[in-house]
Amino acid sequence: MLTRLIIYVACFLKTSPYYKNTKRFFYDLLENPDSRIKSRFDVVMICLVLFSVFLLIYEVDTQLTRIDVLIERVLITLFIIEYLLRAWLYNDVHKIILAHHEKASYLNSPFRWGEVIRLILSKKIEYMLAPLAVIDLLAILPSYRPLGMLRVLLIFRLFKLFRYFKSLKLFAEVLDSKRFELYTLAVFLGFLIFIGSTGIYFFEHSVNGKQVGSLFDAVYWSIVTVSSVGYGDIAPQTTGGRLVAMALILTGLVVISFFISIIVSAVNDRMHGLRENSIYAELKRYESFVIICGFGRVGRHIALQLQKHQQHFVVIDNKEVNALKARRLGYLVIHADASKNDVLINVGINNRAAAVLCTTGDDVVNVYITLTSRYLNPAIRIISRANSQDNVKKLYQAGADNVIQPFEIAAMAVAEYIGQPVAFEAILGIIREEKQFIMETLPVHSDSVIDGMNIAEVDFERRKLMLVGVVSANPVHRKHKNSYKLKNQHFYFNPEPYFVLRAGDLLVVLGREVGIAYFREQLEKSRYKSGRRR
Amino acid sequence: MKRIAVFGYSIMSLEVMSRLNEDLYSFVFIVKDESEADWVAEQGFETKIIDFRNDEALKSIGIGDDVDIVFCFYPRDSDNVFLTISARAIDKALTIVAIVDDPDAAEKLMAAGANKIIDPYEICGRKTHDMLVRPDITNVLDDTVFGRHDLHIAQIEIHKGSSLENTKTSELKMDGKYNLILIGVVDRISGETLHFAVGEQEYILNAGDVLVVLGPSREIRSFKEEVEAV
Repeated sequence: MLTRLIIYVACFLKTSPYYKNTKRFFYDLLENPDSRIKSRFDVVMICLVLFSVFLLIYEVDTQLTRIDVLIERVLITLFIIEYLLRAWLYNDVHKIILAHHEKASYLNSPFRWGEVIRLILSKKIEYMLAPLAVIDLLAILPSYRPLGMLRVLLIFRLFKLFRYFKSLKLFAEVLDSKRFELYTLAVFLGFLIFIGSTGIYFFEHSVNGKQVGSLFDAVYWSIVTVSSVGYGDIAPQTTGGRLVAMALILTGLVVISFFISIIVSAVNDRMHGLRENSIYAELKRYESFVIICGFGRVGRHIALQLQKHQQHFVVIDNKEVNALKARRLGYLVIHADASKNDVLINVGINNRAAAVLCTTGDDVVNVYITLTSRYLNPAIRIISRANSQDNVKKLYQAGADNVIQPFEIAAMAVAEYIGQPVAFEAILGIIREEKQFIMETLPVHSDSVIDGMNIAEVDFERRKLMLVGVVSANPVHRKHKNSYKLKNQHFYFNPEPYFVLRAGDLLVVLGREVGIAYFREQLEKSRYKSGRRR
Repeated sequence: MKRIAVFGYSIMSLEVMSRLNEDLYSFVFIVKDESEADWVAEQGFETKIIDFRNDEALKSIGIGDDVDIVFCFYPRDSDNVFLTISARAIDKALTIVAIVDDPDAAEKLMAAGANKIIDPYEICGRKTHDMLVRPDITNVLDDTVFGRHDLHIAQIEIHKGSSLENTKTSELKMDGKYNLILIGVVDRISGETLHFAVGEQEYILNAGDVLVVLGPSREIRSFKEEVEAV
C-alpha cells in the first residue's frame, strides 16, 4: 500500500508542471550559471556571509544581545535552507524510485525498498562529500551550541564565498591546474623541513635546550626560516646549527621563487580565460546582441554602425592583430576561432544572440562559420559576406539568410551615383533614417481592422502616408499587376485602389516617423478591441 | 551618350559596367598589359593599353576631350590619387569616381580632385547593418529597386517651359496616372533639400527642380518624355 502511494507520488512529481517549475526556479536561483537571478542571489549571500563572520568577530569580546542571537539564528536558518535546497537539487529522488519500479515490473520481481533507499542515500552522500557542500556543512554545524568546541570552524563560512565569487573559484582552479608542480614542491618542502628540523635538533638541543627544547621547536624554527620570515625567537648558536640555518635560508629562497613562478605562470595561462569570462558575463547582461565573426575592414564598419546605434555586439576573431584592434576600440572581443562550436555556444548563440555576421575575408571560413551557426541555432539570423560571386549560392546553402558582396554593393553605388545621384542619395537617406521620412513595414494581422479592407478604404493619403507596395505570399493577390518576385513571396508595387489587404500581408509605407507610429498604434488598438469583443 | 574611362581591372569594374545602361554610356577599359587587354576584350569591352602616369597617354584616350567620367579602380590608393590629380589637371569638368582601400586615403583623394569616393568595405558594413535592423525594407529594395527587377528609382528634371512647371505636387497624382510613386522633389535652388511628396506643405514645381520617382522603367520613360515635351 505504502509502496503504491510512494510510486503514485513519484509519478505525480514527474508529470507535475508546478513541481518542475519550482525546481527550475531554485535551480536558476542557486545553480544555473547563466541565470540573472543567481548573480543577484550570490550578492545577497556574500553580504550575509560577511555579516555572519562580522558577528562572530564581534562575539569574541562582547556579549551578544537577544537581537544579535536572533539575527545569528536567522542567518543559520538561511544557510540550512540553502544547504537542503542544494541537496534537493542535486538529483531527482522520484526518478530513482520510478526507474527501480519500472525495472521491478519488467522483471516481475518485488520492489526492494532497501536497494532504492541505498541508491537515494548514496546520491545524497555523494553531494554531501563534494568540497563546497562540506564547507557549507562546516559553516552551519559549529553554530549548534553543544558543539561549542567546533566554533572556530565557523571561519569556514568565509570559504562559502568560494560558491559566490567566480574569481575565487578561478583561483582554486589555477591551483588545481598546477597540482603536479605544487605536489612536487610540497614534497620537496617537506623533505627540507624534515632535514632542517632534525639537523637543528641534533646540533642545538644539547647546547641550546632552552630554545630548542623539543622536536616541535625544531620544526617551528625550520618553517619560520625556510619561509624567510625569521622571527628570531629561536636562533642557532652552534656552528652546525648556523650551517643548517644558512642552507635552509638559501634553499628556502629557491622554494619561494619556484612557488611564485608556478602561480604566476598558472594565472598567466588562465588570463585569457579570465578575460573571456568577464566578456561572457557582460554578454549575459544584455537582452540581445550581435555576433560579428571576423574583424576585418567590413567587420570594423559594421561594429562602427552598431556602436553608433547603441546596439550590443561581440567580436570573434582568431587573428591576434584584429582582436587587439577591436580591444583597443573598447569592443568586447573573443580571440578564438568562430567556427568552433564551443566558442559560439559560450558566446551565447543559443541564448540572447540575435544574429551572426560572418565577415571574414575568406569565403571558405565564412561558409564554415555559417554552417556551424545554422547547425547550432536553426532560428538565428545569419548574414554572410561573399567575396566571390561563385560562393553566394554556397553560403545560402550553408544556411545564410542574406549574403552581402562588398564589391557588388559598391558597384551598385557607383552605377547609381553616375545615373541617378539625387534619387540615390534620397532613397539612401530614407533607408538609413537620416531624413525625417522613413520607410517602414506594417504587418496586416488577422484581427486587425484593415484585414479585408481595400487600399482606397484604408485611405493612406488622409493618414499622410504613402503606400509603396505590399509584400505577400497570399496567392489571392496573384491577379494583380506590378508584382515582383521576392524569395518566397511577391512584392506588389503601387497596388490599385481595389487591392484587398489580407492577413499576413506586409505594407511598405513611406512617411514621417510619427505618422507611421500613429497608424501602427491605431492598428494595434483595433486588434485589442476585436480581441475583447471576442 | 557619356563616355567612361575605367582604370584598374577588378570584379567591381566589371560589375559597374554591367549595371550601367549600354545605350547611355560607352566604356573604354584601360589596362596595363596585353594579357589583361585580351581578357577584358573577351568580355566585350573596348580596351586600351597605356601608362596612366603619362599625361599624354591620358589625353590620347580622350581625357580632356570626349571622356566625361573616369573610374579610378586601382587597388592601390597611391595609384588612384596620382591618376585623379593627373586627370583633374587635364579636365576641370571631368567626373572622377575613385575607390579607396585605406579610409585615411579618402581625404587625399578628395583633395586630389575626385568627385565621389567609394569605400566598398564601408558600404558593405552599412548595408549589413541596414539588413540587420531593417530586414524587410532592405530585402524588398534589394530584390526590386537595387536588384535586377524592372523597378527603379529615377530623377527627372523639370526644364524651363515643361508642362509640369508651376504644377502643385498634389495635382500630379502619379500613382494613378503613370503607375509611379513620387517620393519627393529636390529643390536645387534652396540647396538640394528633398521635399517629400506626402503630408508636407504643398510644393509648386519650378524649372530646375528634380522629381525623385519610383517605378517600372517603361513608365519612367514615358513620364520623362511627357515632362520634357515643351
